[in-house]
Order: sequence, then C-alpha cells, then structure tokens
Amino acid sequence: MNKPFAFKSSALPGLSVLSMAAVMASPLSAAELTVYTYDSFVSEWGPGPQLEKAFEAQCDCDLRFVGAEDGVSILNRLRIEGERTKADVILGIDDGLLVETRATGLIAAHAVPLDDLSPVLAWQDPDFLPFDYGYFAFVYDSSRVKEPVTSLKALVDSDARVIYEDPRTSTPGQGLMLWMQAVYGDQSDAAWKQLARHTVTVTKGWWEAYSMFLEGGADYVLSYSSSPAYHVITEGKDQYHAALFDEGHVAQVELAARLKTSQQPVLAQQFLQFLISPEAQAIIPVTNWMLPVIDEVKLPPVFSELIRPRRIGFTPEAVAESRKDWIARWRSAAVKD
Amino acid sequence: MHGYRGGTGQIPALAGLTGLVLITGVAFYGLIGFSGQVADPATLRDPYFYGILWFSLKQAALSAGLAVLFGYPVARALYYLPGLWFRRAFLALCLLCFVLPTLVLITGLVLLLGHSGRLSPLLGPDWNLYGLQGILLAHVFLNLPFVVRALYLQLLQIPDTAWRLALLLKLPALTRWQLVEWPMVRGRLLVLAGFVFVLCFNSFAVVLALGGGPQATTLELAIYQALKYDFNLPEALTLAWVQFTIAGTLFALLGRLGGGSWLVLEQGGSQVPVPGRWGGLWHGGVYLLCALFLLLPLLVLLPVLAHIPASLRLLPLLQALWNSLLLALACAVPATLLAWLVLWPQRLAQLQGRHRRRQLLEWLSTHALTAPAMVLSVGWYVFALPRLRLEHWGPVLVVLLNLALTLPFAVQQLRPRLLQFDAQYAPLCAGLKLAWQERLTLEWRWLGGSLRAAFALALLLAMGDVAVFALFGDKDWTTLPWLIYRYASTYRMQEAALASLLLLGVCGLLVWVLDRERAHA
Repeated sequence: MNKPFAFKSSALPGLSVLSMAAVMASPLSAAELTVYTYDSFVSEWGPGPQLEKAFEAQCDCDLRFVGAEDGVSILNRLRIEGERTKADVILGIDDGLLVETRATGLIAAHAVPLDDLSPVLAWQDPDFLPFDYGYFAFVYDSSRVKEPVTSLKALVDSDARVIYEDPRTSTPGQGLMLWMQAVYGDQSDAAWKQLARHTVTVTKGWWEAYSMFLEGGADYVLSYSSSPAYHVITEGKDQYHAALFDEGHVAQVELAARLKTSQQPVLAQQFLQFLISPEAQAIIPVTNWMLPVIDEVKLPPVFSELIRPRRIGFTPEAVAESRKDWIARWRSAAVKD
Repeated sequence: MHGYRGGTGQIPALAGLTGLVLITGVAFYGLIGFSGQVADPATLRDPYFYGILWFSLKQAALSAGLAVLFGYPVARALYYLPGLWFRRAFLALCLLCFVLPTLVLITGLVLLLGHSGRLSPLLGPDWNLYGLQGILLAHVFLNLPFVVRALYLQLLQIPDTAWRLALLLKLPALTRWQLVEWPMVRGRLLVLAGFVFVLCFNSFAVVLALGGGPQATTLELAIYQALKYDFNLPEALTLAWVQFTIAGTLFALLGRLGGGSWLVLEQGGSQVPVPGRWGGLWHGGVYLLCALFLLLPLLVLLPVLAHIPASLRLLPLLQALWNSLLLALACAVPATLLAWLVLWPQRLAQLQGRHRRRQLLEWLSTHALTAPAMVLSVGWYVFALPRLRLEHWGPVLVVLLNLALTLPFAVQQLRPRLLQFDAQYAPLCAGLKLAWQERLTLEWRWLGGSLRAAFALALLLAMGDVAVFALFGDKDWTTLPWLIYRYASTYRMQEAALASLLLLGVCGLLVWVLDRERAHA
C-alpha cells in the first residue's frame, strides 16, 4: 500500500517550490524539521538536546522537538490534527500503539534499510523504525532481596510484595498484561488473582510505582531491564537489579516514523536514518535508559551486565486485537478480595 | 428598600458568567464536534461502569463525611481557644495541605505508614496502608484542612449578642450549642461536605496509588482512560455526562439546603464563652492531633534535604519556579477579580429575595468544579489544536483553563463574606447614597482577609497545575510542577522530592504572607 519512492518523487517538486517560498520569505532560515516526541525525551537529561546538536551539525537544518506528555499523547495529537499536522516525524510511539498509529493513515514508509538493526528485534515494518527498546522486568534491591525469583510463575506464586502500573493508564502496565497473557494464556485470570494477593498497589504511572519502590514500599517493581544502568551511572548505586525470568520477557520497542503530510520528506528520512546511526545510538541508551537497536555501539560497561532475556510476546496486530479483552479480564481478575 | 439596583452594574458580571459557561461549553463542543456523537449509550450497559460508579460514590461520601466529622471539632478548638499556639501557622498549613501535589502526599504517606513506614510498627501487624483506608487517609488529609478553615471562619460569624444572650439566660453548654452554634454551622457543614464530595469524586491518581488495585477505580479514571489510552470520545463524553450530572445535581441541592445562614448582622469574637478546664483540654488535644496529622506526612519528607544529589542544578529549578509564579499570578489576579464580579448578581438576587435566581447563578459560577477537569482540558485541546497555533496560544489557554478551574474556589472564599457585607451594610449604603467608588472602597476593605485568602487559594491551585500545562504548555518554558514530573519520569526521584519541597516551601511562604488572619475583625 505504501509506495515510498513514488511518494517521495511526487513530493519533491512540491518540496522545492515550498522551500523556495520559504527562502524568499526569510532568506536566512534553514529548513525546519518538526519532530513530535514525548516530554522526557526532550528534557535536558533526555536524548533530545544531544541528538539535536549532532543532527544539526550534519543536516544544515533546524531540528525542532515538540514535547507531548507521553507516547499516547503524540498519537492523540496526530489523531486530532489529522492532515493539518505540523509534524514531519513522530518519535516515541511504542510497538503497542503501532496499529492504531498506522490507522491514522498519516504515516509514510521510512525507506530506511533495516539490515543494521539488531537481529533480536526481528524488525521488518516498512513504516515504523525502532530507535530503542527495552524489556519489561521486575526490579529489586539486592540489599533487601537476597534470592530473587527466576520466573514470572515463581513471582506470582511467591508472597513477595509487588508494585506494578495500571494497564489502563500506563505502558509498563500494558507490558505486564502482555507478559502474563504470553506466559499463562487462558490461565491468566487465576494468575492475576494469585498476584493480587501480594500486590501492594497498582499505580497510575511508572514514576509513582518506582518512587514507592525506592522508598522501600515493595520487594519488586515493574520497570525495565535497563533501569539498573541509571542507578549505576548517575547515582553510583549498584544494589538495584532486574530479575531474569525463565519464561522470557516482553519487550517494548520505541518507534519513529515520518508523516505523509511532511513538507520535508527528504530531511525526515535523513533524520530517521540518523536515529539508528552509531552516533545517535550511543547517545540514546545513556539518556533515555533503554537499549540500542544496533549491535555495534560503545556503551558504559554496566550495559553489558544487564540481563539479556529471551524475547516473548505478541505481534502489534495481535495486541491491538485483544487488548480490550485482556484489560477487561485484568480488571475483574486482579481485584483484591 | 434595597439600594442596589441591577442595571448596568450587572452587565460585566453576567458577561463574565457567560464566559465561564462558554469555557465549559466549548470543551464539550470540542469533544462532540470531533467525535460526531454526544454520547455512547453502550457505555451505560456495561456492569463494570456501575461497579466503578458505586466505588466513586462510596469513597467520596466516606471521605467527605470523615473530613467534616473531624474538621468540625478542630474548627471549634480554633474558635473557642483564641490563645492557641501557632494558630496562624496552623491556618496557613491548612491551606497548604489542600493544594499538596499528589506525588508529595503519596510519598509522605508511604514513608510514614507504608510497609516500612516510620509509624507502621505502632499500628500492629495487620496494618495495611493500601485499600479504602489509604484512600480515605489521603482524602481526609487533603480536605480536612479546608473544612477546618471554612468552619472556623463560619464560627467567627456568630454574633456577640447571641453569646451575650446565652450567658444572660445561663444556658447550659448543650443548649448553647443547639441554639447558637449549630444553626450557624449546619448549612455550611452540608455545603462543605458536598464540596469535598465533589473533589474526591473527581480524584483518581491518589485513589489508584493507595487503593491497591483495580477494585479501587473511580469514574475519573475511566474518563482518563477513554480520553487518553482509548481515545474513545463518545465513551468519555458519556462518563463525563454522568459525572457532571451527579456532581452538578448534588451541588445544586446543597446550594438550596445550605443557603440562608449568612444573614448575620455583626461579627463576633469578643464574647465567645471560655471553655472550662476539660473543655480546654479537649480543644487543645484535638488541635494538637490535627496538627500532628497534617505535619507528619510533610516532616517525614525533610530528610530528603540531607542528600542533595550532585546532579541537581539550581538554575533550572529557580527558572521553573519563576515561570510558575508568573503563570499563577496571571491566573489568580483575574480569577479573584472575576470571582468578585460574578458574585455581584448573586448578591443582588439575595437582596431581592429571589432565591431561585441566586441558586442558579451560584451554580453557574461554580459549575466548573463539577465538570471533570480532564474533559475541560482535553475538550479545549481538541477544539483548539486544529484552529489555533498552540505555540502562540498555548500560554493563553493555560491561563484561561486554570482560571476556569480555580475560579470556583475563589468564589467560595468570597461569597459568605460578601453576603454578610450586604446583610450588614446594603441598607446603610443605600441610605447614605454612597457613590459606587465609595461603596467599592468600603467593600474591599471589608473583604480584606477573604480577598487575600481567595487570591492565595487561586494562586496556589494554579501553581500546582500539571494537567492543563501537560496539554498546552510550552515545554521549553517549564513550570515547577512540570519539572517535578520531568524529574520523576526520568528516575530522578530525589530531585523530584527536592523540587516538591521547594514548591511546597514557596507555597507556604505565599500563604504566610497573603493569608493573614483577620485579627482586626
């Protein structure tokens, strides 16, 4: 359905006319590329500022990030703006929202070769390009938990105090839902019930859960396999670890895409290409605390100490189809008696 | 008989009121226009919906009941023991607790009463913070202080003559309470209970975090989910209608029940009966307990100050604080003025004895409280995004929506005092044929503390805003709450805690400066 090259060539004349108009309007301004992303990506500690500097050094353009609250908000903004959107690129939708984002009809093929991507990702999508990923994992404090559980089933059957996020309001929460579904299948209701017995609480978002955990509110918190890297690199603390589970882990793949309506298709494509370059991929893990999508990246040693789980889960299509159903099951099964 | 005439004075007030209604109207129009549907009846056929509706009602009713039940004795303590220590600081603390950010409250409660909390060992092995008890604790913490302040101000309005008469007749304590005190607070208690009910009915992040799981789900969460994760606007609208109807009806009912207790002709304070020894001990004890209850979850956060992370940079923090102050000022000044303005026709209606009209106007001026805040902001977002350049209009919309959301609180602060003014001085003003400038000066002087309290409340509420800023704010122009959110969402919990304390400290300072008790009254 997507014809990237036909689209590109037909857009180019339009592009040159427009850029000419732009040049005439303000002769000194470089081409502008607008990227919608989530806020923490562009915050001063996020990847945004460094990526902007690196990309602008090679593109002769002005890269402009527009921060939405989170990934879902980017999609919703697109839905509302429709064809009138000012975004050239969106960055920060995850694979769980891929189907819904594609359904807006606004996404153009990325036309970036995928050969360099890590085989772990097994990524083939013509429209969405991964720029980082992470495994959902239960993080614990090794100074409190001496013998961490080694499987999801062991965690569910244990009496360890667990905090996780609500799948109705947060991405990690949806991740756990997929994880439970992948491991337990039809038996998930009983497993949720079992987990509810030793669940401390379920929070609206990641940071509430994580800060409650850091205050000693739980033995395990649902977060990412890469969370420990933050504590080592920024805080010099090495007691936080992610538990490796035998059944495998569900991954979250963060995606970028360009828009059909973009006036800067070439520049947008160049930016996507840049995102998976070794230069950008070395910036993202230590600022966004996720894993790089290509293999040959120089990273601080702690990254090689992170757990390397087997990946399990569902295709974005399967998730989109069953999500509603799974949430309904969760909300009736995970109730505390 | 009455010197106030409607006429031209009402036009700006009614225009302001129309503006307020328009703000809500545009939000709903935005959602309806985009989805092409007013509601989705299928939502109401889901048993899940009734489950969360019941839970929302239950926790809100319990929270409101408890806040009023515990707030009343504290307000009495403040009233009957004028020599209480740290009274002014306590009243400032009350205002501060009311606007406490969620993250701060949750952290404080977990540190204090969570599994490894400081106080948990005292509560026995069966203690568990999470569940209905946690929700109620948090809601009472947030709302009890507000009840205390409002009831205390109400008690201050008991006229001295009433006490003098009671003294003369040697009425026993119970009869005094029955005849003098209770009639004065009864109506206000109901209104306050309703007010707290509505606030708790709209709560959800606290409910979820302390509720322990999906069994603790409110309607507001369903609205959030529908608006955000599912982007199912008809469903969100249906839920919003339900919430609006329930909270709005309740508000209207309480407006009718609670009216009419403001016709006080003079202010008391000097003839308040001095409680006996046991009475004094009781009041002192209640006061102390309440102060502890409010202070402990905050004090437990202070050790954060001991480890200031090396990565913390002061400049962005101060910059964000400055931005917050500017934004809050831009919202609180018009909110206070507008609150005063929209009260004008209500006072007139009261003077003319047109109670239906007064109730309607009252409802309209505070209706934004009952509309789900999320619906207001997302509705405007949907409306504005295709029509306006958010880069330019974003800050205007942040101010406008915060104005709409904080105005009801300012109205609530000013209303009793203004109605009292009318009851006392309206005939006099008419008799003296005062020019409007003179009357205005008189009125503003009379308002004094209430005006400052209304302004402080609007300022604090606007300073704490995250929800509206998240949608419309320019993220290069960060506010302090947004910076806290940023810290927290990038693992920087310590910085978030520090920034929260800074926000809290500044809010505390503002309250301290603005909210001077009316010692002269």
